[in-house]
Amino acid sequence: MTNDQQILDCLKDPSTKELAFRHLISKYKERLYWHIRKIVLNHDDTDDVLQNTFIKIWNGLDSFRAESSLFTWLYRIATNESITFLNQRKRKMMSSLTDENEYLVNNLESDTYFDGDQWQMLLQKAIAILPDKQRIVFNMKYFDEIKYGEMSEILETSVGALKASYHHAVKKVEEYVKSHETRFEP
Amino acid sequence: MYKEEENSKPEFMKRPGINPFRTPDGYFDSIEDRIMKEIQLTEKKKPTSSKIFRILKPAFGIAASLTLVYFLATYPFSKNTINTKVSSTYSAPIKADSSLNFLLIDESTLVNAIFSDEKSPVADINPDEMLAYLSSGLNEVEIYSEIQN
Repeated sequence: MTNDQQILDCLKDPSTKELAFRHLISKYKERLYWHIRKIVLNHDDTDDVLQNTFIKIWNGLDSFRAESSLFTWLYRIATNESITFLNQRKRKMMSSLTDENEYLVNNLESDTYFDGDQWQMLLQKAIAILPDKQRIVFNMKYFDEIKYGEMSEILETSVGALKASYHHAVKKVEEYVKSHETRFEP
Repeated sequence: MYKEEENSKPEFMKRPGINPFRTPDGYFDSIEDRIMKEIQLTEKKKPTSSKIFRILKPAFGIAASLTLVYFLATYPFSKNTINTKVSSTYSAPIKADSSLNFLLIDESTLVNAIFSDEKSPVADINPDEMLAYLSSGLNEVEIYSEIQN
């Protein structure tokens, strides 16, 4: 049961539903984890969002239409769950933060599961301060190399708008990196 | 052409996009079990009536709207009803009041009571008491009732 169609067929049958869902988790857990992790940054938060994402997927299985691919549908749920999670956290922390993206930068700095060097930390900070949509588009394009067509289906945004978002994101990241890079150079 | 495009790329993009994050050891090994357990827990938590409620939700909505409209439409009338009720509540003790016994007395009895030669119970009353009675704001009927009692 490795093929998406096989998984979907087995999900429709109550006797094989649970087993098929286990296969679905096995197949997509890592890809969804890393997609969520790049949005929320912290491992513990990612773990919560990933769990909620799979619960949402389980509850929404009846509403899945084969109009989009399974992969696209799963990514869309994971993206929406991540954004909802971040918005809730930002609202809670708003009183103590001067900037709503400060939450993500703090998250990044406090994450014990970050193995990058100084330059990678700088790049991640530059990405963290981007608006949510630009950040997601940038990560999907720069790290995951997802094609605009597929991204358009996942984010339900036109290819033109995605290209514009990516272009703005690249400019902002470049400016941030340039202005902060010299600080840690010997 | 390729080189030109490479040169126009921002400096940071010339470096490979490496994922600097990692997960705790063995994190992905137990994920299926944890998620399935959580799903089973949420399934158990779901109230059995939730599905029925979901089906009947539109009907409940319409019923609630109709009830609201009914109350809004009948509120002014019910206000009158309240007034009527209030007035009937106030009238109850009046009916019970003995002063209304006067209504049951016919005229001749009343005339006889005032002008008869019999010693009137009023005769025993001290003029000061009479004056106090008169100045107490009681009307004739009430004074008569008091005397009768």
